[in-house]
Amino acid sequence: MNPSSRLTPYLYVLPLVMLLAFVFGYPLVRIFEFSFKMVRGIDGPWIGLRNYELVLSQSLFWESVLHNLQLLLAIPAMVVISLLVSILLYERIAGWKIYRVIVFVPFVLAVPIIAVVMKRMFQFSGPVNEVLRWLSLDFLALDWIGSSDVALWTVMILIIWRESALGIILFLARLLGLDESMIEAAKLEGASWWQRVWYVILPQMRGVIEFFVVVSVITMLAAVFAYIYVMGGGRGGPGTSTVVVELYIFNALIRTSLPGIASAASVLLFVVSIGLIFLLFRVRRRANEQEA
Amino acid sequence: MNGSRKHTLSRRDLLMTSAVLGAGAAFGGLMPPTSALAQAKTLDMWWWGEQELPGLQAYVDSSIAAYEDATVKSMLQDTAVVISQFQTAAAAGNAPDVQYLWNGIYHMESVWLGYLRGLKGLVKDDVIAASNPTMLSRFGGDIYRLGWYPLPMFWCYNKKLFEQAGLDPDSPPATWEALLAACEKLKSAGIEPLGGGIQDGYWSEWYISHALTQNLDTLGEAVELFIGDKNFRDPKYHDHWKRLEELKARGFLNKDMSSLELYPGIDLVVAGKLAIGQTIGTRLPADSKATGGQIGYMVMPVFGKGKLAGAPIVDVQGLGISSNAEDPQAAAAFLEYLQSPERLKAFWEATAWLPSNTTFDSSVIQDASVRGMWENWGLKPNISNVTNLMPGQFYERAAIPTGQQIVQGSMTGEQAGELAAQVAKEWRDFNPDMVENYRKWAVDLSAPT
Repeated sequence: MNPSSRLTPYLYVLPLVMLLAFVFGYPLVRIFEFSFKMVRGIDGPWIGLRNYELVLSQSLFWESVLHNLQLLLAIPAMVVISLLVSILLYERIAGWKIYRVIVFVPFVLAVPIIAVVMKRMFQFSGPVNEVLRWLSLDFLALDWIGSSDVALWTVMILIIWRESALGIILFLARLLGLDESMIEAAKLEGASWWQRVWYVILPQMRGVIEFFVVVSVITMLAAVFAYIYVMGGGRGGPGTSTVVVELYIFNALIRTSLPGIASAASVLLFVVSIGLIFLLFRVRRRANEQEA
Repeated sequence: MNGSRKHTLSRRDLLMTSAVLGAGAAFGGLMPPTSALAQAKTLDMWWWGEQELPGLQAYVDSSIAAYEDATVKSMLQDTAVVISQFQTAAAAGNAPDVQYLWNGIYHMESVWLGYLRGLKGLVKDDVIAASNPTMLSRFGGDIYRLGWYPLPMFWCYNKKLFEQAGLDPDSPPATWEALLAACEKLKSAGIEPLGGGIQDGYWSEWYISHALTQNLDTLGEAVELFIGDKNFRDPKYHDHWKRLEELKARGFLNKDMSSLELYPGIDLVVAGKLAIGQTIGTRLPADSKATGGQIGYMVMPVFGKGKLAGAPIVDVQGLGISSNAEDPQAAAAFLEYLQSPERLKAFWEATAWLPSNTTFDSSVIQDASVRGMWENWGLKPNISNVTNLMPGQFYERAAIPTGQQIVQGSMTGEQAGELAAQVAKEWRDFNPDMVENYRKWAVDLSAPT
């Protein structure tokens, strides 16, 4: 192979690489640059690591990080719910095709829409509490979105409900691709429902579950803004009880005119997200190697 | 050849023709269009407000259509980018000639960045004064906005509920003690006495607008709290949060306050489910009409000892001229035109709301509540909204969360003062360059009117 033919494939992809570099690379470079500047308007003087010092010494930033980490607790619940529902659908319970559509509807709807509806439902005098009071369960009629102790958990309920829809569809797609003869064979051998799920189905779904977990981790760290914005009254409230890193960045940039601080926090979030993704894929590769 | 020359286009002809056409096009491009010869001036105007005052778009359109001295191109801005879009354009030298400006820090930062022109000497002094741009537009002896429309801020109450509780609907409580007594009566009558909705935080801000000022002598004193010359830990400066704590402790706040947003909370007063709330002038015409005149208004009952205690609060939205304006006189002339009697009348007709101008002929106002509010809030001495002085960081980290946490019972007034002091210091650490600007601003804000 001569040198020019070796270069040919790279030349083909060069325009796209350049486009991507412009669309993603340029803003990324600017964000890194801004994170070392005290930006006023659209630029400002270099101040070294001062923005990072300020961000890392601010209690609100760590509170936001903690809230993101707390949201990770939703992932096991999402996996379990998605698995249960998808397996039930796979077993073709009566009306499973309709259910399949219904469970995916939340994922099709825009987050702000369902969040606004959910917010109404969870108001102190809203339908959820009205039903609870009607059932004489007054002790469960909490101030779901108005109490700092409960608000983030309420947001988590919404996230679990919506994001599980993606898990269900992913898992169901994988289930429909399984070799049914293995499950039938297990049945003939007298394996119970639970044994079939644990020993036959789940091992074959490992890859898709890992994928869903990775996507969900990224979601919890860097894609819950819309949920928090709507449910937390646009501010991560009440108080600061639902502020997450994304909202922290948004507030720094838009509401407090601190692009340098917003950039420093963005860089930190970016580095952590990349690190986590790298770690997760490495774990997966090692698991695959062990399997092989 | 017989002399008849075959006429073909040579390369030379082509080049010459192209050159002639190109020169013509270039010359034509340099010449102003014939329509522009008749009306040479063009102004760009970026504005906001249709979002909070329906009808403003129609008013802007009709004003532009009727204006003969310049062609004005307007653009309605999105709420989220009113400031950032202007600042970005100004930094690039492309800001509009006329820009919509929220009050206080929301435009003062642009002043400090050099993006706005002072209006003194550009706009007639009497026009500036009549438009009530408020003290918050002053800096370094100049003024940077013209008032456009006012936003009186007041406490509202439902007269019917007052009557039900045996209270005089025409004599709302004027002191803190009278307020507590009224709330007690309302509560005894099975009526939720006071509150609204604080879930989105704005109630918290409005409460500070009414209450913090009660222990201030000047608006400049508030700035001193942010720059560290005064301290929120001083009981005088967190007294207002202790009062809110008292209302909570006595069970006077509506139970669903923490989960309701601002406007649904005001709706409770209009619907007769809550006796007293905080509201804003632009709502009054509709609320008064919906209740058959049952919505009363008052200043927040007085508890403080500052000179500003008990003063009506009027915030004012405004318009300014950018430093990029190529013909600032033309921009100023357009702003003066918007303050002409004919345009003030058009404003009222298009929006059913008041323009910010003390010369506005209020005889057109039919609703007694609206006219009374204009006469008492708009024409008499009033003060501006103190929360417009707050640095954004303080607003987000202290002003909003403190109220929310006190209302849900997870913070005391004293703790709120401690948090406010911490956040003020944090703001100074984050914005060392802004502190000096604020210090200079405090001088203007403390000056006599």
